[in-house]
Amino acid sequence: MFIFTLRKLNLFLFTMLLLTILSFSLSFLFPGEQLINISGQINATEQELAILATSYNQEGNIFEQYLAYVFHIFSGDLGVSMSSQTDIAGEIVRLLPATIELSMFAFVIATVIGVPIGFVAAINHNKVTDNVILAVAMIGYSVPVFWLGLLAILTFSIQLGWLPSGGQISLLYEIERPTGFMFIDILVSESPHKWQALQNAYAHIILPAFVIAAAPATVFIRLARSAMLSVLETSYIRATRAKGLSFIQIIFRHAIRNALIKVIQHIGLQFANLVTLAMITEVIFNWPGIGRWLIESIYQRDYTAIQSGLLVLSTFIFIVHIITDYTYAALNPLARGAKYGSR
Amino acid sequence: MARDKIYQEEEFPSPLIQLWIIFRQTPSIMIGLGAFIFLVILAIFSPILAPHSSVESNVAMAMLPPAWDDAGNISYLLGTDDLGRDMLSRLMHGTSLTFGLSFIVVIIATVIGVFIGSLSALTRGVKSSFLNHFLDVILSIPSLLLAIVIVAILGPGLSNTLWAVIMVLIPQFIHITRNAVKEEFAKDYVLASKLDGASSLRILHYSVMPNIIEKIVSQATFAQSAAILDIAALGFLGLGAPIPLPEWGAMLASGFDLFYIAPWTVYLPGLAILFAVVATNLVGEGLRHAIKLRKFS
Repeated sequence: MFIFTLRKLNLFLFTMLLLTILSFSLSFLFPGEQLINISGQINATEQELAILATSYNQEGNIFEQYLAYVFHIFSGDLGVSMSSQTDIAGEIVRLLPATIELSMFAFVIATVIGVPIGFVAAINHNKVTDNVILAVAMIGYSVPVFWLGLLAILTFSIQLGWLPSGGQISLLYEIERPTGFMFIDILVSESPHKWQALQNAYAHIILPAFVIAAAPATVFIRLARSAMLSVLETSYIRATRAKGLSFIQIIFRHAIRNALIKVIQHIGLQFANLVTLAMITEVIFNWPGIGRWLIESIYQRDYTAIQSGLLVLSTFIFIVHIITDYTYAALNPLARGAKYGSR
Repeated sequence: MARDKIYQEEEFPSPLIQLWIIFRQTPSIMIGLGAFIFLVILAIFSPILAPHSSVESNVAMAMLPPAWDDAGNISYLLGTDDLGRDMLSRLMHGTSLTFGLSFIVVIIATVIGVFIGSLSALTRGVKSSFLNHFLDVILSIPSLLLAIVIVAILGPGLSNTLWAVIMVLIPQFIHITRNAVKEEFAKDYVLASKLDGASSLRILHYSVMPNIIEKIVSQATFAQSAAILDIAALGFLGLGAPIPLPEWGAMLASGFDLFYIAPWTVYLPGLAILFAVVATNLVGEGLRHAIKLRKFS
């Protein structure tokens, strides 16, 4: 496990190196002055620019400039937004929790719905149930998420009126935001209407979370189905059958455990996809998260914000990848030995 | 077509023909292929087939519901939008934008990706390991995010969107070609031609390529469904095709404000995207299924 940790750490450092290089080189690729792109100071005077130039080590060669940029990132300075001149690191700390909350919620929904259905499909392999599930799954991952979002709003918010159509919580509730995570904030808050606020926040998150979860859930169905199918073909399952265990015993004691390991291995990779869907869904549902902020900063040509947003979002995704890798390795001793990239 | 054995002759169809024989056995997948071909034909001939122009507005006929509605008009089969443009014609013209362009995008990405991937499969050591890590990083960034960044660099517009989608798709092809080529190179028949003195490039061209082409084609179909969704998503966000163009995503976005008055302006482009993506995915699914079956037979 120690060597596994070292290898993951190595991979993490390498990835961070590449991501920072990518984000650093973006400041050259975006139109306009590199120093202004990287710092976001569009209204700076000559003196301020000179100070900025020294702090970003503009005199030095490209490598020294990169080091200065990394130093800036580690001291928590991502520059200021070009359009609003607010501190980007502060903005991201304020907005990222909402995105994490939404995508985690969607992730859990997708897993809880997708994996069991996939198992059911595998158990009924080549029967009507299996075919119906596969057909639904095919439509599920083909449907464009923005369209699904609009249909969901039309059906559940406008026609049925069950759920709110946008935002994170009704403006009536005044909740202090020490952590930025809505549900944690509500639980620690002193508000007398804590439970109503919690219910309200739930009502707001359900619709966008289900819209985001639709496509990943169908991918999980297919993953779980093929994992279960390959487990059911193995000889140890045949051995349990020969021993005379009942079907339910075979499935619950032996098959599900081994199939789940395989599913977990691939589940993390879906997360990047899920975040993409979350970005679009945030726009439709007016969710105050980082995806909407990022897309708005494109409309405003806010290069500093795009650059930092890319860095933060991909770091977030990569950390989730590593966490699922760890879970997988903790559950499956065989995986710890497998060399990275040896597949 | 029945394959009767008249002569006592063993017949060995080529890998692609074998694939086709297995492929055509599933009816649902043949329906998918039919829909796919239909879209290709529509994408090519839409200017001839469409009953009206895609941009010409006719304000007298604005916001007509589809023809089956009581207020509908039969000469505008699927209704009109807020400027009186015929929805059916716009959808047909949109086929060549969303579907047709995704087709071209995938072909370009395939050629570049397969080229880089097969060359990189021949490298070893630090270079190869670096590339592997690099691809991993690129693949871990969401495709839409990457496309958005590229569009931010190049500026919004349809052609820039296409370049962005191409660049986003290339790493997948490099990855899959690289793995497939490495897998084939470990096999005995490659060793045999190596012993005959063939150079790596010659082996790649004559021995490996025919055996991995199907994997690439099946990846290409999945890439195309992703490309349709990405082009439409960028269009919807207003970063892709400019508003007057009948790109399906952009049409959806412009129908967004009319959603409650004229819901068909939102339903129809969405259905069109869904139809195209399902057709593409069915073909890809069939290919993958056929490849798997052929391996066992």
